[in-house]
Amino acid sequence: MSALRAEQEWMHHALIFPREVDGDERDGLLSASPNLSAAAGLAIYQRGYFLRIAACMREQFPALTRALGEPLFDDFVADYIRDRPPESHTLYDLGRRFPAWLGENRPDRDRPPAERELWIDFMIDLARFERQVFALFDAPGHEGRPFAGEDTPDDRLRLQPCFDLGAYDFPVPAYYHAVREQREAPLPPAGRSFAALVRTDYVTRTISLTEPQYLFLEAMAGGADVEAAAEAVARHLGTTAEGVIEAWRTSGQRRRWIGWGFFIEG
Amino acid sequence: MAAARDAIADLPRLGLGLGLRSVHFDTILADRPPVDWFEAISENFMDSGGRPRSVIREVAEHYPVVLHGVSLSIGSSDPLDLDYLARLKRLAAEISPAWISDHLCWTGVMGRNSHDLLPVPLNEASLAHVAARVRQVQDVLERPLVLENPSSYVRFASSTMEEPEFLRRLAGETGCGLLLDVNNVYVSCFNAGADPVAYIHAFPCESVVQMHLAGHQHEGSHIVDTHDRPVRPEVWDLFRLAWARTGGASTLLEWDGDIPDFAECHAELLKAKGFMGGRTDPEAPGRLDPVGPEGLSNPVGFLVPRVMDSILLEEA
Repeated sequence: MSALRAEQEWMHHALIFPREVDGDERDGLLSASPNLSAAAGLAIYQRGYFLRIAACMREQFPALTRALGEPLFDDFVADYIRDRPPESHTLYDLGRRFPAWLGENRPDRDRPPAERELWIDFMIDLARFERQVFALFDAPGHEGRPFAGEDTPDDRLRLQPCFDLGAYDFPVPAYYHAVREQREAPLPPAGRSFAALVRTDYVTRTISLTEPQYLFLEAMAGGADVEAAAEAVARHLGTTAEGVIEAWRTSGQRRRWIGWGFFIEG
Repeated sequence: MAAARDAIADLPRLGLGLGLRSVHFDTILADRPPVDWFEAISENFMDSGGRPRSVIREVAEHYPVVLHGVSLSIGSSDPLDLDYLARLKRLAAEISPAWISDHLCWTGVMGRNSHDLLPVPLNEASLAHVAARVRQVQDVLERPLVLENPSSYVRFASSTMEEPEFLRRLAGETGCGLLLDVNNVYVSCFNAGADPVAYIHAFPCESVVQMHLAGHQHEGSHIVDTHDRPVRPEVWDLFRLAWARTGGASTLLEWDGDIPDFAECHAELLKAKGFMGGRTDPEAPGRLDPVGPEGLSNPVGFLVPRVMDSILLEEA
């Protein structure tokens, strides 16, 4: 190993695990100055490492920060970046593994599922939703190109690229938007919720869905056309695909989804 | 190398520029303020499929733009990230920046990224290592690289040369350009107990393409490079010297924490005009900042968009 490699591995470890730094080793690798000891200089980097990432994570998970409170959120982030140090050149990637990490490291993970705390389930759901929202903000989109119109035949409707779906065990989209509007946001009771996320003109919309609507769009996201998606819903509801499509049209859903930019012409 | 050196000599002098920050996007696009040029953080735009990419394309149609990176990690002992370079090159092809810069630093090792600008040991071995990587980057990008002196709080005991000498030899061996961050000179020299004026005199100013200005937090015993307040008098004074020695290199103000509105940033930038003719600042230097919590060095929070500001709720 080169001297440079050894110095860098040592310093990087010192950033992530400040308590593991051996003072003699530190003072051998770093020079003191008249104004800063090696320990004080290193401490500026160590402190900055955590605070810098925590600040970015709070920006990526503002509703979760509100739900947990900043000190507890920061505690989770500190554990998260010790377990999963950032790997990407982009700060946008910082939160990518956070929802799954929360699920794997929930404080009650050793208890049987039936005895686990509901509020933790909510936090994990909320983290998933916020990661979806954040990822969609800068994902490749369809801006500047034509979307499907109401006269586009069903068999040519395709979901646009900047689109995502979520199924949750809590009404997390409603909670998120309450925080966004700075309204009172008590932790909600459990309850299935479904949402579509779609971006047009660089604005993301959250659209709450019923379960059949979610299944319809989930099938389309998997590559099905409208007819095949309707068949998936019909199987779920015990009805016919023709009936599903008819209801989709007469209820105004088709028109609204097209208006919100769900579809492009395939 | 000679080609890179010639290319550096041909780079334009852009005047006084500002860091392109997302909180100012709407003002810049709507008002087209009379700023000479903008510097964009490369990582904020190179992966973007959303509004940031659209904004930088539009800004580049109306202003000279420079790309300034924070994750090239030129001093790392990890292999260069060729995917990163390919993305950077694609962005450069789209917006035709006047040049591309990054820092003399490493940001991570073992495939990990600290998102900080960490100091490189300054010795013969690291010089050879960094020079080889600069040549590789320049070959990939097909243009000279411009490297900035970072702010620092520690010095490796294995260092055998001062930063100006290291950068002089690096520029000589690779033909790269240099970005002289005047605030970083002041911060690093204060923290190291060194003389910032001697640093500027020792710096290879003939290779300087660009300068940076920024605010910092003076803690008495040390200085933190916070970029969250106006430029301090001591730094303006140093800028006066640097401006003369570089023959008027393109100059840019960075404001990255507690970013005020565009007009206030622009007004701070324009103070530079007062120091170009050799004026000294009437404010007495040496004033400490008000006592308060220590700020964050190299803040990056401004690089993360406030996504909550651009999301609507619709009922199906």
